[in-house]
Amino acid sequence: MAHRRIRKRVADIDSELPMTPMIDIVFQLLIYFILTFEPQDVMAHLDVFRPAPDAEPREEMETPNVLQIVVYPDGFTLNERPMTLVNIERNLARLAALDRNQTVLIMATARSRHENLIQVLDLCAKVGLRNLSVVSMN
Amino acid sequence: MSKGRKNKGLRVGEGGGINMTPMIDIVFQMIIFFVLTIEMERDALDDRIRLAMAPDGPAVERRDPRTVTIDVSDRGRVSLARVPVSHDQLLAIMRNSVARYGQTTPVVIRGDIDTPHEHIRRVMDTCTRAGLFRIKFAAIKEAN
Repeated sequence: MAHRRIRKRVADIDSELPMTPMIDIVFQLLIYFILTFEPQDVMAHLDVFRPAPDAEPREEMETPNVLQIVVYPDGFTLNERPMTLVNIERNLARLAALDRNQTVLIMATARSRHENLIQVLDLCAKVGLRNLSVVSMN
Repeated sequence: MSKGRKNKGLRVGEGGGINMTPMIDIVFQMIIFFVLTIEMERDALDDRIRLAMAPDGPAVERRDPRTVTIDVSDRGRVSLARVPVSHDQLLAIMRNSVARYGQTTPVVIRGDIDTPHEHIRRVMDTCTRAGLFRIKFAAIKEAN
């Protein structure tokens, strides 16, 4: 008799919090989030220094210690020598091994595509060069 | 006697349990808040702009809340949070940002892969005229 009473009490207490609707809603939400989830691309931010327009005289920018990469619509030059991206990477890696803090001056021509500039900045990031200045050419 | 014992037993049972309902309410409220705010942040970016790949670029780990993100389309259209702006308007906005948050305000330029550099140049010149010399270019490190 006493056992039956205890079981009844336990049953009463259990029925106070019905879990079924909550679990239903949780599963509905879970299914909604899974179906609407779109994986985001991992973004990179390439940090550059932009000198003020006409703030420095042109002679100062063309000092021999500064690495100069020019981005043309159809190619690149490194210190006035035409090069492919692979060759630029090789040269940059060698120079970065000597000094990672040296300034790289990246000059982009007006008609060059933005993707080409990003490719050069990515190469500099790859070899560890940090001081990057972007200037524009006509 | 038996009635009193029964009541006492029930009281003990009720007092010992934790009321889960307010906690579940708050958890759901938080989930809804985070889902809505993530969607709003995603909507602010123009998804028509195709970003270049930079697999070796530094990944964005922590986003500065002061960041100004400027979209530049392949035709040179400049927009902020999907709203097209002229260069004069952009200059005014950038000057306002500098006045409020200082010259360390991060600027991110999201340029399309086919955007000619002359359009990016105009945006960069606007930034430097406003006093911002540190500029970041957005790229995709890892496409999903």
